[in-house]
Amino acid sequence: MSDDNKPFFVGYLPVPQALRGLLLAICVLLVSGFAGFGLALGVAQDDPGEGAFRFDYGRQTVTGVIELTPYPLLRVTQGNERIKPGHTLMLAGGGKNNVDSRAIPLEGQLAQASGVILERGDLDMMQLRGGRGGLDAAEGAAPQMEVDQLGRWKLAGEICDGKCLAGAMRPGRGLAHKACANLCLLGGVPPVFVSTRPVEGSQFLLITGPDGERLPEKAYDYVAQFISLEGDVERRGDLLVLRMDPDTLEVLK
Amino acid sequence: MSVKYIPVQWNNNKYIYDAVMLLGVGLFLYVFLYAAPGLLSHERPINPQVHNARAFGACAFVMLSVILCIGPLARLDPRFLPLLYNRRHFGVMTVFVAITHAGYIIDWYFAFSSSNKYEALLFANTSYGQLAGFPFEIFGIFALFTLIVLAATSHDFWMKFLSPPVWKRIHYLIYPAYLSVVAHVSFGILQDQQNHTFTVIFIGGAAAVGVLHLMAALHERRVDQAIKADAVDWVPVCDVAQMREGFARIKLLANGERVAVYLNEGKLSAISNACAHQNGPLGEGRIINCLVTCPWHGFQYDVTSGRSPAPFTEMVPTYNLKTDGAMVLLDPRANPPGTFVEPVPAPGREAKL
Ligand code: HEM
Ligand code: FES
Repeated sequence: MSDDNKPFFVGYLPVPQALRGLLLAICVLLVSGFAGFGLALGVAQDDPGEGAFRFDYGRQTVTGVIELTPYPLLRVTQGNERIKPGHTLMLAGGGKNNVDSRAIPLEGQLAQASGVILERGDLDMMQLRGGRGGLDAAEGAAPQMEVDQLGRWKLAGEICDGKCLAGAMRPGRGLAHKACANLCLLGGVPPVFVSTRPVEGSQFLLITGPDGERLPEKAYDYVAQFISLEGDVERRGDLLVLRMDPDTLEVLK
Repeated sequence: MSVKYIPVQWNNNKYIYDAVMLLGVGLFLYVFLYAAPGLLSHERPINPQVHNARAFGACAFVMLSVILCIGPLARLDPRFLPLLYNRRHFGVMTVFVAITHAGYIIDWYFAFSSSNKYEALLFANTSYGQLAGFPFEIFGIFALFTLIVLAATSHDFWMKFLSPPVWKRIHYLIYPAYLSVVAHVSFGILQDQQNHTFTVIFIGGAAAVGVLHLMAALHERRVDQAIKADAVDWVPVCDVAQMREGFARIKLLANGERVAVYLNEGKLSAISNACAHQNGPLGEGRIINCLVTCPWHGFQYDVTSGRSPAPFTEMVPTYNLKTDGAMVLLDPRANPPGTFVEPVPAPGREAKL
């Protein structure tokens, strides 16, 4: 097997002259190879999209009517420069937490919400500050809020968690992010359906169960995947809400 | 020779090996993390935690692929044996890089909820019944735990404690672990990305590992066929004229054992081919200063007794030989490790004094 023309390497002895060139070449190849792969993979990262926490806007405070879809919404009645009356804000707590305990007692009432905005295109959400400072009853009687029924739709797209998608995480969608999104949804963060084609001008719809309950368990297996489904769409202010029919769920890819 | 459980026996070659390896890994991470983002024109950057996780995950994959190429390369061409020499440091380093990858993921994707992040890792996605959306993290967890076990038992203490065959069997788990990483990536990021550079590098890396192993296995089989003996009392090894001073001929016995028959100073001696250190192929080594020297890590044995020189205590079995004319014959029954056997003069090859 062995051949005395071939140099013999023993770790604790100096490297044989005949092997030095090869080993040096391997060292150079290894180091430059690692650097090269680092560069190739580093620059191959997909654009995560434009979503982000808008800390640059500063804390936003607006007043509106609390509605439960069952995910809490604020139908803005008294806005500010950025958030106009008629706008509907989805509400979330810090991290992967919801604001149910603060919003449910205020259902149908006028409330003042304060927090930071997450924004991605025309999708936005407010992460409330902690405690009563984030959401508290406001003076006055709540006006009646309209809900327009837009009928039954068949849509193709992806179920995401609305907070990560809006910019809490970049990227905040896709299969690699599925477990993370599920964890948000299990925590009661509002889920969003990203439609491939806009519905009445909007690409994002808050998505609920068929009778307006939380996202059905079955849907969790399809989060972050390209699917089609049917459901009834309604408009609450400028936000569309999709009541999905779990029996129509189909994986498209 | 023995390492006597001294944590690490350093020598110049190991310093150079580790320095090159660390430089490579350092550059990979530096370029991925700090040079690449400047070249990306993303309106808003990827979250640093995700970016870090990807850098360390991709680095661990590249490291693991390189490590797994070293073995077959060294089998195919002994000039690559120096790469094998300190491979375990490479492996241990990979574990730290992989743990960092998992750490960023767990502290980011699985944190910030009211659940424990390690529990969340297991329950957040349980779509085990489907291919798309399969919880690919589970493959990463298996690979990570296996790598940790291998790194923790990589020290020679464990090899002594578990015995080389058991140790070796445990360390073959590197293959299921690598396959698991391949599955981890295939069910995860590979299905998710728009840019397919990673796909190309990934498939190229995994294919290189696969093809090299296949080539080494075929090479090994050819060699085995050439040296395999029938089950007989005295096994013919070769003609004395085919032997080379200071080198061995390897014979594969019917029971699967390999024997290294050495010609040393005009006399023939036979010892087991399996080094007591990590089962390295002693017959592919050579005699240095009258001692058989293993090509893998340089353990040494007296060719007549299979014993390492004092103060070391390693021993390998010896075998009895005789000659019939110019033919070297081997008794396939091994002597207990360390048994002295009087060397047999090699007809026509007596040492010139
Ligand atoms: C507890 C163990 C692990 C977990 C939870 C885990 C989780 C993940 C997740 C969630 C991703 C997708 C990241 C993203 O792009 O957003 C990922 C990617 C990846 N993982 Fe792991 N992983 C683990 C262990 C490992 C190990 C041991 C290796 C390799 C040795 C590995 C190699 C990779 C690679 C190469 C990628 C793709 C990197 C990229 O996106 O460019 N992972 N892992
Ligand atoms: S010296 Fe390590 S296997 Fe022989």
